Amino acid sequence: MTQSEAVSAPPPLHQRLDRAELERLVADNGLGRMGVRPPLVPYVKQLWARRSFASVLATSKAYARHQNNYLGQLWALLNPILNAFVYVLIFGFVLQVSREGTNNAIAFVVIGTFIFRFFETSITAGAKSIRSNLNLVRSVHFPRAVLPISGVLAELTTLVPAILVMIVISWASGLLPDPAFAPVPVSWEWLLIVPAIAMLWLFNTGCAFMVARWVAITPDLQNIIPFVMRFLMYGSGVIFSIDRYVGDHPIGTVLQYQPVAVYLYLARSSIMDDPNFPQDPVMWWLGLGWALVFLLIGFLVFWRGEERYGRD
Amino acid sequence: MTEDYDFEVDAEDLDSVATPDRAIGPPSLLVDDLHVTYRVFGARRVGHGEAPKRSLLSRLFGRGTEPGTVTQVPAIRGVSFTAHHGESIGIVGVNGSGKSTLLRAIAGLIPPNQGAVYAAGDPALLGVNAVLMGGLTGERNIVIGGLALGLTPQQIDERYDDIVEFSGIGNFVNLPMKAYSSGMAARLRFAISVAAVPDILMIDEALATGDATFRQRSKERIDEVRASAGTVFLVSHSLATVKSICTRVLWIHQGELVMDGPAEQVCEEYGEFVQAVKKERLAARRSKAGAAAAPRRGRSGDNSAAR
Repeated sequence: MTQSEAVSAPPPLHQRLDRAELERLVADNGLGRMGVRPPLVPYVKQLWARRSFASVLATSKAYARHQNNYLGQLWALLNPILNAFVYVLIFGFVLQVSREGTNNAIAFVVIGTFIFRFFETSITAGAKSIRSNLNLVRSVHFPRAVLPISGVLAELTTLVPAILVMIVISWASGLLPDPAFAPVPVSWEWLLIVPAIAMLWLFNTGCAFMVARWVAITPDLQNIIPFVMRFLMYGSGVIFSIDRYVGDHPIGTVLQYQPVAVYLYLARSSIMDDPNFPQDPVMWWLGLGWALVFLLIGFLVFWRGEERYGRD
Repeated sequence: MTEDYDFEVDAEDLDSVATPDRAIGPPSLLVDDLHVTYRVFGARRVGHGEAPKRSLLSRLFGRGTEPGTVTQVPAIRGVSFTAHHGESIGIVGVNGSGKSTLLRAIAGLIPPNQGAVYAAGDPALLGVNAVLMGGLTGERNIVIGGLALGLTPQQIDERYDDIVEFSGIGNFVNLPMKAYSSGMAARLRFAISVAAVPDILMIDEALATGDATFRQRSKERIDEVRASAGTVFLVSHSLATVKSICTRVLWIHQGELVMDGPAEQVCEEYGEFVQAVKKERLAARRSKAGAAAAPRRGRSGDNSAAR
């Protein structure tokens, strides 16, 4: 960067090996080319070998989230409680939109928002996963798929206390004397929330893979995600029943069977005792199907971009 | 702007000249015509000084700030060389010459735009900038770093005390890394990176931090890597450090390899180059001071002196 004529560095060296010599040396010494995408099967194996890396990264991140507060990890519980309080107040008592198509508006809204938040934060975490870990990406070799996986896993970790809050509030809402809030009795069906969340987690990971690649290559897309989320929120029946408001319209059928709505249905049918959400094997199969399809496609999409992550 | 050309000579480095001519093995790394170009979003132009003043209208609609302005910055322009097992190679060059980029590209961490790198095993890179996770404790960072490098949780358990001991951070290991001094953080990173004994170890300015004891221990660790037939790359502004650790030196200038040879020889030539540039800058500064009495000229006039 000197702008001098008097002092100059020596001219560049040109010591490039010729093609044949290069190939011979590479073959003789068993050298591997750097920065190329590994084939699918070795990639999956590498990923499996780093599974504890993904989980440690996830739990550490989830822990670090509340570390800078006086109340510390208590916020993992306080956060969902405050959130639920807002929804209960607005949609349970003030607005009436949530009362249609369900026998307990509070449980309906709390389950809807909590489950949807898990989806939303997972996608955001996936979108940021490469960029926010660029230091790690540029220092160490590891299958990059670890990053979106651990991003979603961190959200799953924060979801666990939220789910407890969600169940307790749903149950408590049933104790209210108001007939608009039907009882939510303790039942073995509550355990079905575990497979429902597990499927949603797989689905989220698949989506996170896709957005991780798209955002890593075209950062602008990150600005679009909140709008897509807003759209999905209204199109999935988070705060009002799709069945009741658009059920007759052909679009209503599409909206009811799209993945996010399916997982909301599964969560509600597990927790609530509501004739609008009976246990439905079709929905369970659909939930499993969506999860596997998105996970598989998302993984392939992400893997195909492997060699590009880390370049600005 | 920090000093461009610093190579302070530290007394403690001088007494230990590089362990000479360990048996040089077969090639461990081939770099073939490597090109790396950075994509910079929203930059108007590459260069120094103020951007020209523009009216609001032209800023909104004019060329240069229009959406999608992406500037290509060539950082490495066609570098080729071969490294061997048991070699320790220093990379020198003035600031912005592309040393760190070269290191990252040969580690396979920044995909090249053209050319290829062939390596035996997995290179590990450690740099001053590679903050692991600032909000987490040193203990968590050791675990995360170790897992990222491919160690198993059992191996990390076994080596944990070693790592803490080597980094010399003591009880700070239980505090978040944000609370560390830059020296402590750099030492911890170094300790983590060498815990795995990589085939190819790349060190980016990490040894500049740390006291004499730490440097001595790092040098021993580097010798260990070389002894196990690994290859060591070192980027440093301190010619004394380079001379004491490296057997071979690459001189990078403006993204190109301009010299490749024994450490003593290349360091000498590079040192002369730096001295000459310094002398010239000094002369330029003097002539500017002499001209200060005269009416001030535009900004472009003092650019060469400021750099």
